[in-house]
Amino acid sequence: MSAAAPAARSEARAAALVLIVGALILLGLVLAVGENPLTVLWTMVESALLTANGLADTAVRAIPLCLIGLGVALAFRAGVFNIGADGQLLIGTALAVACAPLLAGWPVPLGIAALLVAGVVGGAVWGGLAGVLKARFGANEIIATIMLNYVAIELLGWLVRGPLQEPMGIFPQSARLEEALRLPTLIDGTRISAGLIIALAAVLAVWFIVARLRYGYSLTLIGQNVEAARYGGVRIGWITVSVMALSGGLAGLAGIVEVSGLHGRIQEGFAPGFGITGIAVALLARLDPLRVPIAAFAFAALYVGSANVARSTDVPFPLVHIIEAAIILGFLAATLLKRKGGAAAP
Amino acid sequence: MMDLAVIIGLFASGIRFAIPILFAALGELVNQRAGVLNVGIEGIMLVGAFLAVACAVATGSPWGGLAGAILGGAALGWLHGVFAVRLKVDQIVAGIGLILLGLGLSGYGYRLFFGQGAPTQVPGSQRVDLGPLSDLPVLGPLLFSHHVLVYVAVASALLIAFVFARTGLGLAIRAVGESPKAADSAGINVDRVRMATATFGGAMAGMGGAFLSTAQLAGFVEDMVAGRGFIAIAVVVFARWNPLGALVVALVFGIAEAAQIRLQTLFDDVPYQLLTVLPYVLALVALVAAARSSSLPAALAKPYRRD
Repeated sequence: MSAAAPAARSEARAAALVLIVGALILLGLVLAVGENPLTVLWTMVESALLTANGLADTAVRAIPLCLIGLGVALAFRAGVFNIGADGQLLIGTALAVACAPLLAGWPVPLGIAALLVAGVVGGAVWGGLAGVLKARFGANEIIATIMLNYVAIELLGWLVRGPLQEPMGIFPQSARLEEALRLPTLIDGTRISAGLIIALAAVLAVWFIVARLRYGYSLTLIGQNVEAARYGGVRIGWITVSVMALSGGLAGLAGIVEVSGLHGRIQEGFAPGFGITGIAVALLARLDPLRVPIAAFAFAALYVGSANVARSTDVPFPLVHIIEAAIILGFLAATLLKRKGGAAAP
Repeated sequence: MMDLAVIIGLFASGIRFAIPILFAALGELVNQRAGVLNVGIEGIMLVGAFLAVACAVATGSPWGGLAGAILGGAALGWLHGVFAVRLKVDQIVAGIGLILLGLGLSGYGYRLFFGQGAPTQVPGSQRVDLGPLSDLPVLGPLLFSHHVLVYVAVASALLIAFVFARTGLGLAIRAVGESPKAADSAGINVDRVRMATATFGGAMAGMGGAFLSTAQLAGFVEDMVAGRGFIAIAVVVFARWNPLGALVVALVFGIAEAAQIRLQTLFDDVPYQLLTVLPYVLALVALVAAARSSSLPAALAKPYRRD
């Protein structure tokens, strides 16, 4: 009990240190461009959070980040480092768009439901493939998922110029989804679709898996100590494959929700960098499903704010990735000081 | 159609494609042999590629560019060491942070220095001229008229193999990666060795990036490393942590890359995307083929704490 107070204090100190060093570096980077950091910060906050349009843009961006972050959190909990959400998202979306013509004429809710299921299945297959390679052959999932990302990108490049191309055959993109397959707009006057509800429902579902099911307990057990889990009778191979499939399925869902709710069609680069940001979301949420939507909203605001900053000032957009890296490394440092504070107690 | 000139061209360009992967793989190999897994070398290569161009333009010399890339790479490798070795936090998560950091820093720096989409002219070429050797038929274009860094990379592989096989330093690195506890009792400073290999690994990745942007291609493009940092890790695994093996495997990847580009022009009715994926599919095959290798350093990715 007595350890809790110093641990919390040292964590707070670490967090403060991380924030200060990170802020100083970011300050330097902004000053190097010749912009006023306060103006930049204000532009970022104002354009992402303090205007109706900005807030809506942030919510729109938070939907896929939340779904991807949930999937990443699930896999990371089991110590399976899925950093291939981008590829899983692309394959899931492509499969769903390919199925779309078959769903023509279906009653509205059934058609959309089938479309979303196709997205989940495509992502689950692509993620599960990396899971099989790891469970069956011991192939490192970090490299496998990244390689599958590149394969998926090229595959999509071919699909939108070949089998999935719009009938006119001019642009490298698919035909527009018919209205019955589009997710309805949730709030009039914004682009926020019913995807928001899907994302929040997914939060509850993943929370239920993690907190209430034996499966979720097994995940955490493997993540903490593989040997102990094996000794305790957890089927590690099955969990590895299934959690990769779940993780990929959520990424596929994120992609098809983005297409059905926002763009209406698939084209190359429609979800740039979503997967890697999803990792930052999951880590910021400390792999806790209930914190994922908050972290997703924070990163969505960062993206929307940075894009506006890049438009109205000379500060380049890749600042986003530097901030993401600073957050990940900062959290690592913070957990360390917490651990040190706690270790002194027993 | 497949006459001698085509084959020579294929292998010569395969060698060029292999070099960035080889540099990064050799650095990662030494690092992993000491027990540190850095999955972020993709980010380090990006920073190296950017710094090589920026510093070459700033100093007017390709050597200035190379020095910048090595220093920048070493700094990022050291940073990963601080997290993985000194702070003993999750090495993989720290590596993921590094991927993003490299992506951000190189993209930010590029737009800062060169503006968006501005062309960059990189000064000087460092192609060696070995006189009569370079003029030899077949062997001249194949082996004796490459960029000087090609020979540096090959020499590095031989040197690292020698260090591991014959020197006390190599023994120390292997001991630290296999049994840090025993190494510690033998008087080896485990963390210091690992910090050194982490920094070395970063410098090598930086050099790989430099080769990519200043020797193989002429200029920096955002995200130009395109997965080569991860392919380098697959090379290390498939080569079973053997530097000479890494040389051969990197060469195979280089030739695969050169071959797929040639195949695209040869079979223009095949969608080019299906050929572009060749190196990535090859990496997946390599990972599967190297399944559960017993050569894996026993203490890989495990921080060492004295009891």
